[in-house]
Amino acid sequence: MKKTKLGEFEELVLLTVAVLQENAYGVEIKRELEERLNERLSVGSIQSALKRMEQKGFLTSEFGEATKKRGGKRKRIYTATPYAQKVLAELKAIRADLWAAIPQPAISYKTI
Amino acid sequence: MSKLVHPPKWPLMILRLILKEEYFEEVEGDMEEIFKNNLDRHSPKQAKMIYTWDVIRLLRPSLIKNFGIAQMLNPNSAMTIDNLKISLRVFSKEKSYTLINILGMSSGLAIALLIILYARFELSYETNNPLADRLVRVTMDYLNGETLIDQDCETYHPMGPRMLDEFSELVDFTRAHDIGETTVGIEEDFFREPKVYAADASFFELFNYPLIQGNPKNIFSAPYEAVLTETQAIQYFDHTDVLGESLWLSQFDKRFKITGIIPDSPPNTHLKVELLISYPSIKAAFGEEDYVWNNNSTLTYLLLSDQAMYPDFLKNLEAFNDRLHGEEKILNERIIAQPVKDIHLYSHKSYEAEKNGDATAVFFLLGVAILVIIIAIVNYINLSTSKSLDRAKEVGIRKVIGSSLGQLRLQFFTESFLINFFSGLFALTLMVFAIPTFRNMAGLPPGFHFVNDRIFWYIFITTILFSTLIAGIFPAFILSSFRPASVLKGRFSSSGKGIILRKTLVIFQFSITIFLLVQTLTAEQQLNYMQEKDLGLDIERTIVIRAPHTQELRGNYHTFKDELLAYPQFQSVSLSNCVPGLPSSEMGSTNVDVNLVGALEKQSFNFYIYFIDADFISTMKMSLKAGENFLTESKNQDLILVNEEAIRLWGIPSPEQAIGKQIDLWFKPRTIIGVIKDFHQASAKSAHIPMIFLYRPWFNRLASIRTQSGDVREDLALVNDVYQSVFPDSPFDYFFLDQEFDKQYRADDQFRQVFGTLTGFAILIACLGLFGLVSFTVAKRTKEIGVRKVLGANISQIVTLLSKDFISLIFFSMIISLPATYFLIEKWLEGYAFRIDLSAWLFFVPAMAVLAVSLVTVLVKTFKVSNVNPVLSLRDE
Repeated sequence: MKKTKLGEFEELVLLTVAVLQENAYGVEIKRELEERLNERLSVGSIQSALKRMEQKGFLTSEFGEATKKRGGKRKRIYTATPYAQKVLAELKAIRADLWAAIPQPAISYKTI
Repeated sequence: MSKLVHPPKWPLMILRLILKEEYFEEVEGDMEEIFKNNLDRHSPKQAKMIYTWDVIRLLRPSLIKNFGIAQMLNPNSAMTIDNLKISLRVFSKEKSYTLINILGMSSGLAIALLIILYARFELSYETNNPLADRLVRVTMDYLNGETLIDQDCETYHPMGPRMLDEFSELVDFTRAHDIGETTVGIEEDFFREPKVYAADASFFELFNYPLIQGNPKNIFSAPYEAVLTETQAIQYFDHTDVLGESLWLSQFDKRFKITGIIPDSPPNTHLKVELLISYPSIKAAFGEEDYVWNNNSTLTYLLLSDQAMYPDFLKNLEAFNDRLHGEEKILNERIIAQPVKDIHLYSHKSYEAEKNGDATAVFFLLGVAILVIIIAIVNYINLSTSKSLDRAKEVGIRKVIGSSLGQLRLQFFTESFLINFFSGLFALTLMVFAIPTFRNMAGLPPGFHFVNDRIFWYIFITTILFSTLIAGIFPAFILSSFRPASVLKGRFSSSGKGIILRKTLVIFQFSITIFLLVQTLTAEQQLNYMQEKDLGLDIERTIVIRAPHTQELRGNYHTFKDELLAYPQFQSVSLSNCVPGLPSSEMGSTNVDVNLVGALEKQSFNFYIYFIDADFISTMKMSLKAGENFLTESKNQDLILVNEEAIRLWGIPSPEQAIGKQIDLWFKPRTIIGVIKDFHQASAKSAHIPMIFLYRPWFNRLASIRTQSGDVREDLALVNDVYQSVFPDSPFDYFFLDQEFDKQYRADDQFRQVFGTLTGFAILIACLGLFGLVSFTVAKRTKEIGVRKVLGANISQIVTLLSKDFISLIFFSMIISLPATYFLIEKWLEGYAFRIDLSAWLFFVPAMAVLAVSLVTVLVKTFKVSNVNPVLSLRDE
């Protein structure tokens, strides 16, 4: 959190990159996230999130293999940086604390 | 199979142009992979659509190329103090250039904004009424067979209640019956009210008049109730707390109890009210029952349950028409409907509640306002690109020092913004001064101002930003693209796109100018033609007075007439129910079977009925084509005069043959004894209407007094004296016939004035543009001129050389604009029943004027340059 802002959508993309490991390139990220969110995403939204996060230092990337399906163009594989891992862990901790701090009845009311 | 299908080509091309190069391989690959995947699940067509849509959604700031814009918007370099400083220095160095720019831009802006204000007002009619979307007015068309003869706003009294019964789409109705001009008596004071409406109780809800005082539950349930607007209450009683007071109305000779006070009508409603009386009053006073279909003189408004029900309503209206025809409630008529919101701009029927506006004029002016803004912007582009010679070196040096494209562009946008900003301020100042005049010119309500109008400020800011962008984009892109190496070496050529662009812009400006000029001149000619046309009567030197308010007093007419005629300055005095120039709604009209007695083929035209005495024809100086006038003191009951238009409709070939023929009118045969030469009842804008004149020498409405030459004011004072002595306690209400008649031309006059002003500015701005272009060219050729002079060319040769190009531009504009102008103006003139013919000189004079003005503009500049000593111009290196 703190100084570098990570948007909600960016966080999701970042987590997806972490999940997919060496298979984390545009199409796969889009597919994975579409499946999990159960909604259609545009290439533009994924790409701009990736590029922004790369500029902020959450991601690094390098060219991967080229396939015939891609018309001979190379993939770009994204990897989450240690800094990103740290920020993600921090975010998770803050969230967990907040959840823990909610008085129990309030939650049970909500779930009725 | 799917291998054969490729992604669509053009989105890919756009992508290559716009996307950052370093991202291209990856993104294109991704896109292609997704496309192939989609082919498994979707049809090729769908996959292509998804692909295209995805390409469009790739256009995000973080992914597309930096066109200098991203950098421009970068907070580190945006609009620094430096940019402002440099801009101001440029302005102060080039004072005349800056002044020309600001003058052109601000006058363009001021004019355009005023017109937008006017258009906004005209388009805002009925917006104060939340129910307006669901309100519909029913009106009647008069037919002769299948031909439409006349359209009447007013319908029969039972129409409203019956339609509410028979249409499931309707939830309410209201009627407003104009009871005509009435004198209102408050104790000893009398006021003349031109419009008093009898209205149903639902009127207040349907037209959004919440009662300020009075009980909405039982208002207007009984006869002889009245409701006043606040302003009217103050006029009558000096205060608004008047519930329970009463007022006397001459039309009824009864006292009405005030049961309610309502707010004033907004200026933007077609139905303005001051004094309303309860609908049951008509029934009580005149015995007009709700089931009698014989008097079509009430405005009928219906409330739909939902706006969307309108088409259904229209469908059912056809069947309703058939039912009424079957029952013979209506004969040669057809009931039609119009949404209340359309009335002000699109309805021009007889008996309208007020003279309505004209959609064509509004949109025409709006179009011209946009043209004026465009001319002003074009001007700025023109002038600033023509300055490129001066700025080229600056651009070169800046680039060498390390300025980026973005920074340079920002500089030019800053200048454009500042010019527009100052022009905006100046335009506002101009508008503040111009608004009182403009209100008169455009016929806007007295309180109309833009300062409190929030929407106006949005428009203002949008316009400024828009013109900043448009005006700045050309200099920003053309000037910043100079290559430092070549401009600094002095090899600066702008023979390319710049020149062509500027020439095109100048041609464009002058084409518009010529069009505006021809239009102005034609409007002027048309108006003169109408005002000077032989009207078929003499409207000069005639005073018209209105009848006193009681029947006893009206009986004194003969004393009044005799006393007046005792003075030598009064030629004649006559009586009538209407005079030329008043709206035809002041007359009655009838379309019930007015035909030649024994005619085989029954026609149903709408005839207007004049009630006159024997002196009317001579007082108005109308002339008879055939036959003779009514005789005084004789039995004229069943005799009529008609006008030429009427006999044309009856198919009588000549006026002479009409004499002695009998006409059925109001179920009685009447003999034609004379045919009056067609005169203009309304302005020359509209065609002649068929009229029948009946002999009714009673002082019910108007008396006209023709005066000899002499001081009109003295005559008027004399008439007033006589009036006061013969009709004591009656308000002396008069008008001059010519002034009243000319009021009809007010709309045309306004149009002409607004158009004339626009044209003036367009010419000014266009000349400024030309001046800029000339300055540029001349500056570029200073050395050439020097060399020519050294070699022996004289001034006139040089001036010719320099002017030639520009004059050919003007000729070119003429060739482009004159045919289009001819077409548009011919269209405009079609709106007039009596119109001028277009003649060559209407086009020739404006074209020559433009040529002359631009010649002067060119000569001023070229002459100055050709006079310069060649030593001075050649030494500069």
